[in-house]
Amino acid sequence: MSGPAAQPFLDLINANKGIIHKVTKMYMDNAEDQEDLFQEIVMQLWKAYPSFKGNSKFTTWMYRVALNTAIVFFKKEKRKIEKTNLTEQIEIADIDESNDKEEKLAYLYKAVQELNSIEKALIFLFLEDQSHKEIAQNLGITEVNARVKLNRTKEKLQIIIKKNGYEF
Amino acid sequence: MNFDQLKNEWSNEEAKRPIVSENALKIKEAHTPIDRIRKKMKSEFFIQVIALIAVAFMPRLFDLSTETKLIFVAFYALATGFTAYYFLKFYTFYKNTYNLAIDTRKNLLWFYYEMKLNIELYKALTYMLGLIGLAGFIACLFFYKGEFINTNTKNLTFLIVLVSFSSIFIVGLATEFWARHYYGKELKNIKLVIDQLDDE
Repeated sequence: MSGPAAQPFLDLINANKGIIHKVTKMYMDNAEDQEDLFQEIVMQLWKAYPSFKGNSKFTTWMYRVALNTAIVFFKKEKRKIEKTNLTEQIEIADIDESNDKEEKLAYLYKAVQELNSIEKALIFLFLEDQSHKEIAQNLGITEVNARVKLNRTKEKLQIIIKKNGYEF
Repeated sequence: MNFDQLKNEWSNEEAKRPIVSENALKIKEAHTPIDRIRKKMKSEFFIQVIALIAVAFMPRLFDLSTETKLIFVAFYALATGFTAYYFLKFYTFYKNTYNLAIDTRKNLLWFYYEMKLNIELYKALTYMLGLIGLAGFIACLFFYKGEFINTNTKNLTFLIVLVSFSSIFIVGLATEFWARHYYGKELKNIKLVIDQLDDE
């Protein structure tokens, strides 16, 4: 499937690429890994696209595929060694050049790296303004469990951000 | 920490990314754990086929008697039969598509059990081939020059028992080690995420 058939899909992706971009920044802490994950998510969305029947909103379907891909995606071994220095450089550059809002988000992205895959998904869906019910449906857990987990994750995130010397 | 304010800033964040073009859809190789296991199994498939073909020429390399050749053919047929059966199963696994649009729990469980099942199948095949190979080798050795090797019955029984047990032990250990080393990491990672989801 390519050519004209791909165009409607690409239009949808480009209109919503911010979602994928945010998922990659939540799950990967350096630019190269984020790029790899971005490509992987786009490819998985493309592979799954024939199964999208339009019963739900494109973005709802996209959240699931993007998060499920990110959760099982493991970064390349070689890059793990180089990770620390590269991450620090990016983070410093991000923070130096940004305004207050961007700085806040840069600290958020840095802090979420200390969360596990499921906690990242919870925070992501929460920031995307999903209700507890929607979060529970996306993750396949009960609504109560989603609420409890989300509260715990928010507390954990606050502690990490504080520990990193920032508060907002 | 004001999460509502953070939510607002989050929604206003711009994605500084170039337009996604059709080229992004042309990357063929996927990197989910299932894809990686499938890729490894595919390369192992070719190695095993080559090994099986190479083994077929063994009787030509050694001066085997008719009886030994018959034993060899019997064991070779067994090995080929089992290999064909398991490869059919692996092929089904290879062609089986997955659906990432289901909820995370279902998705992770599907990945985990599909991977586990196929790793177990892989172990069963390796174990069986190892034992058939060893048993065939021992049987051929006993009949090497067309006559049963010269040893007394008591020693022979002891030898057969010793070789059988140590073979089972070595083949079992090697299979476990290889499967864990080659495929275990992905499985362990997925299990870890499932536990995070289940953790109350």
